[in-house]
Amino acid sequence: MNALSQSVITVSKLTKFYGDFKALDSVSFAVEKGWVYGYLGPNGAGKTTTIRTMLGLLKPDQGEVQITGINPSKDPVQALQSLGYAPELPTLQTFFTGEQLLDFMGEMFGLAAQARREKIKQLLDLVGLKEWGDKKIGKYSKGMVQRLSVALALINDPVVLIMDEPTIGMDPEATAHFRNLFTNLSKQGKTVFISSHLLDEVQRICTHVGMINKGKMVFTGPIEQVLETFTQQWVIEAELEKVTETIVSNLKKLDYVEDVKVEGNKLRIELKEKKDLRGEISSEIFKRKGVLLSLNLHKITLEDAYLRALKGGK
Amino acid sequence: MSALRRITVIVSYEWRRALAKKSVLALIILAVAVQTLILTLYSQFTAGTMFLTEEVKPFMWILGVLQGQGLFVQLIAIIIAGSTMSEEYEHGTADILLSKPVTRVEYLSGKFLGGFSLLAFVEALTTVVGVILASWFFGPQNSLQYVPLMFLAIVYSTLIFFCLSFMFSEVLRRSTLAMLIALAILIASSIISQLLAWLYITTSEYLYFYLSRGIPTWGSNYFPSLLIRKMMTIPNTALLNFINDPLIPIEATKRGVSEAILVREALQQAAIIVAVYAIIFILVAVYRLLKSDVTKKTA
Repeated sequence: MNALSQSVITVSKLTKFYGDFKALDSVSFAVEKGWVYGYLGPNGAGKTTTIRTMLGLLKPDQGEVQITGINPSKDPVQALQSLGYAPELPTLQTFFTGEQLLDFMGEMFGLAAQARREKIKQLLDLVGLKEWGDKKIGKYSKGMVQRLSVALALINDPVVLIMDEPTIGMDPEATAHFRNLFTNLSKQGKTVFISSHLLDEVQRICTHVGMINKGKMVFTGPIEQVLETFTQQWVIEAELEKVTETIVSNLKKLDYVEDVKVEGNKLRIELKEKKDLRGEISSEIFKRKGVLLSLNLHKITLEDAYLRALKGGK
Repeated sequence: MSALRRITVIVSYEWRRALAKKSVLALIILAVAVQTLILTLYSQFTAGTMFLTEEVKPFMWILGVLQGQGLFVQLIAIIIAGSTMSEEYEHGTADILLSKPVTRVEYLSGKFLGGFSLLAFVEALTTVVGVILASWFFGPQNSLQYVPLMFLAIVYSTLIFFCLSFMFSEVLRRSTLAMLIALAILIASSIISQLLAWLYITTSEYLYFYLSRGIPTWGSNYFPSLLIRKMMTIPNTALLNFINDPLIPIEATKRGVSEAILVREALQQAAIIVAVYAIIFILVAVYRLLKSDVTKKTA
């Protein structure tokens, strides 16, 4: 069995046109069991188009999607049976109460009445809507609709969870709660696919990342690899009481230092290696009688990597 | 879970969705109210005239049932069907439904059967109300064993405009537009049908005769009354004129055949016309759903 066939989600050379506009251009990636896969891209990059094609809602012009080895366009019943989906800014059926909608969705998945009742109770508790289950969805706030949407995605105890901007509209407390939830779900062996523009969120919870820009995949791989791939260097920023020529010239002589730039009483020390060398740098500064006020290692963040990836640079 | 079970789940969803709409409930109430008003007025203003003889009174349930069908049921059919598919696109809920384990054909079948069974329920209601009101105003009614048949005939005849509106609902994915176009076709078709009948009467040109029968309203308007005429013996009174296709007596005289033969012919034609239109409209809707993307929220 090759790596591709072990994948829970496989997207191969997916191309989608809206009229003359190429929304997806030969997009390929694979997501394996237990991964939390963050799907990143600017507005209009093709994130939602990818997700809607993965669900069989859009018909690809070329390429193929497989969910647990089954193409949802060809066999939606099998492919979507073990999938949970929470759309971006969902509009739910306002004539239902939260409980009724969960019950209906449970029926769609063929759950027995008793199993549905238990699951509904558990899920409403999980998403913090216990008190709101018997209220019409029309009365819910945006954040509550978002929470209910996550509960709906979990009604069938899915193997694969696809979330399009899942924490939009949620307060910080709920956002943190759902981050933990997604991490826990992946620990239970579920595969979580999250489309998000919240890079901090993705960096915290995702094990793997895919980046799309203008319909093309820019990167797909483990989160450490994206940081590695798009990092040119690590930088140490040092603030001194007084910057002297001796300090600068000696720092420049160090094997692991690429360059030193002076900005007032601050030094920007660009490193050749991606290592935390603050100890070595501070020792060198003290040796040259420098008084250190602060010393920070500036590692590349996902945001840096993301912006660099979108510019096409490495 | 079987395909049938999945369709049943969507049927029950469609009932809840349609009944949650105040406009549908209001129309159902209005249909019954107007039905009551018409029979009340008829009983008051036709008493002692040729329109309400003693021999016709036991058959007034036919009027009670049919006038409900002609006036409001087609409109309710258009309103229910016009929103069935399109509102899910407009509200963005089609994404949620079609990302569940259900095929598009099952989804469309569930939506169609849900809407149509709701319409059938409304028709059952107006049929029962029609019979009760006729008994109340005109005394004991005869031949009530034909009421279920009449009901089924009405249900069948509403297929044309239900399917037409359903088709526009899926093709256009805009409920108001779908309803307006279906309503415009209902009105235009009714006017054109009358015009063609008049042209046939004045010119005796058979082209107009056949064209008038090919118009959707002819099949939907006359199928129940033709069936009831074939099954029952109704006194030849004003009531017969009300339910009759006006071309039948003319045609009978012209061809020198009995009206019964022409009723049988017309009944077959009406049944075929309803079926052909309904199948074409449904096939267009199925093709559109199967071949196109699920459109995102539009309203």
